[in-house]
Amino acid sequence: MNFKEFIFVGLEGLRNNKLRAFLTTLGIVVGIAAVISVIAIGEAGKAMIMSEMESFGTNLFQVYPNYREGEPYRPVNFTKQDVAVIKKIAPEVKYLAPMKYDQGEVRSTIGKKNTRIIGTTADYKHIRNVEILYGRFFSEEDDAVGKKVVVLDEMLANDLFNVENPVGERVILQGSAAVVIGVIKKTESAIPGMTPDNYAYLPISSMPGGSRWENVGSLFGSAASKEEVYQAMERVKVILERRHNAVDHYAVYSMEQEMQTVSKVTGIIGLIISCIAGISLLVGGIGVMNIMLVSVTERTREIGIRMALGAQRKDILIQFLIEAIVLCAVGGLIGILLGYGGALIVALVLKLPPLVSWWVVLLAFLFSAFIGVFFGLYPANKASKLDPIVALRRE
Amino acid sequence: MIKVSNLRKVYSTGSVAVEALKGVTLTMHKGEFVAVMGPSGSGKSTFMNLLGLLDTPTSGNYWLEEREVSSLNKNELASLRNQKLGFVFQAFNLIPALTALKNVELPMLYAGVKPQERRQRALLALEKVGLGERLQHRPNELSGGQNQRVAIARAIVNRPSVIMADEPTGALDTKTGEEIMEIFEELHREGTTIVLVTHEPDIAKHAKRILRFKDGLLIRDEEVTNRTISSEEEVNHEL
Ligand SMILES: Nc1ncnc2c1ncn2[C@@H]1O[C@H](COP(=O)(O)OP(=O)(O)O)[C@@H](O)[C@H]1O
Ligand SMILES: [Mg+2]
Repeated sequence: MNFKEFIFVGLEGLRNNKLRAFLTTLGIVVGIAAVISVIAIGEAGKAMIMSEMESFGTNLFQVYPNYREGEPYRPVNFTKQDVAVIKKIAPEVKYLAPMKYDQGEVRSTIGKKNTRIIGTTADYKHIRNVEILYGRFFSEEDDAVGKKVVVLDEMLANDLFNVENPVGERVILQGSAAVVIGVIKKTESAIPGMTPDNYAYLPISSMPGGSRWENVGSLFGSAASKEEVYQAMERVKVILERRHNAVDHYAVYSMEQEMQTVSKVTGIIGLIISCIAGISLLVGGIGVMNIMLVSVTERTREIGIRMALGAQRKDILIQFLIEAIVLCAVGGLIGILLGYGGALIVALVLKLPPLVSWWVVLLAFLFSAFIGVFFGLYPANKASKLDPIVALRRE
Repeated sequence: MIKVSNLRKVYSTGSVAVEALKGVTLTMHKGEFVAVMGPSGSGKSTFMNLLGLLDTPTSGNYWLEEREVSSLNKNELASLRNQKLGFVFQAFNLIPALTALKNVELPMLYAGVKPQERRQRALLALEKVGLGERLQHRPNELSGGQNQRVAIARAIVNRPSVIMADEPTGALDTKTGEEIMEIFEELHREGTTIVLVTHEPDIAKHAKRILRFKDGLLIRDEEVTNRTISSEEEVNHEL
């Protein structure tokens, strides 16, 4: 028999066992398509999280009191002068804003709401790239004179007023009056918690009650460039330590470091997704294996007949190998197309480029091909070693 | 043509060993039509499978056309079966997924015959056994008689020296069985050597020589005359 004839016999075998061929192909298709689309979904999710983090700004950093569990509490504070000095002597620090968190009641003419309050400076707008819907964010002058103004986020504004644009309206915030000068646009994010809602932003100098800079929880800053982040962080830390004579009392974190933490989390998500994909592949593989093994008796008799008529072991093996290869190739191709289609749909829905990595395709294909060829050849190999009469007698 | 000497076959399934053939010695000549008779379990099929190189003997020698074949490897045996032997089984043993025509072409496929010639020779063989139509049908769409004709066509298509038939009429009614036997007679007239296993005297009478088996031994070897075609009971009684 020449090669062409082998192919022909192999194909004939498939044509004559259509259901088996179909089910085997289905197993391979399901396995491969599942792996490709599931991994693509995972990759898309990861990419989306990372791109949101990027859009948040990679040249950002934060300064906190360095408090470690088990150590005695060391009171540290940030002052208005700290910020002024740092901005003056450290050119790599472009913006630096205090973050003073509070919460309380905000009341308008038509309603009231418990809200979170952030006292900060005009720098905050630049650090967070705040988008303004109506009016404006407060300015350095507002802060300097302690003007009683407030900027609301879109959600809070909608809750408190029934007009589209509440700029100019008055609110009572923690008992003292303030004028709404701006509304911050709500930014859409797929990641929960990335865009906090229900915040009221005040100039820190106009925060009601007490010494204004007391209890500032942290400083939020941005470096002049991405490359200068670590330099800026170090400068801020050193200046604060010197000014407060408090070595090791401050801790600085860059957004990049936070991103690494997030990417660790997305890595875990990726691992889980890979496991799910692996399970689908396995299930498909078991399906293929079952179908191949279920037809063993029938095929063993066929092999017995062929051997009785003069087929040699290699003739039998090549016939079954070709059958298996054709099944795997067809199943693999359909699986890749379906999987890619699935990934494309996901990408369209999430508005991301389709992320199908070639190694996933290759791995899924190789695994399915291995299962298909192994369990296709296994019974053939066993049967072809028997005396023809033993294979013929198999019931 | 066929010579066996002290041929033995022991089946050892698990702990029990069954001695199915206890040492058989005989010679068959080219063109003979031999029937193998004996009660069920006497070792007829075992003997036939050894002659057909479908099974390997436990001990003994076997010469097929002057060649000692009991020590050949699997590939040599396969090519001998392909070239020298044709099989007809009680259960037909056709490949269910293949059409009648494709089933008949199979031995030529393994003999390396070109597709065009394969088809021609298959058609000729089928015509010879009286199956001129329904060639594109599969075994489950054909009657028992038709299937056995396909099987005979398959057995003769490579022009073998010997045809081995194990109870070829066992699954057929009497009339169809007779028709099948006509085909064997015709093949015999053309000079083909035929070994036929049967326990039916009416079938055996088509042969020219009868070998009688009992308990794994050849107990009688005789030419066919009207007298010798007797039932198993009569033979047993005689002994
Ligand atoms: N594959 C086998 N395994 C074990 N014993 C077998 C096998 N084939 C046949 N036998 C035994 O060998 C003996 C002869 O069987 P067989 O040659 O089939 O007889 P016959 O064809 O004359 O009916 C019987 O006792 C049978 O049970
Ligand atoms: Mg028998």
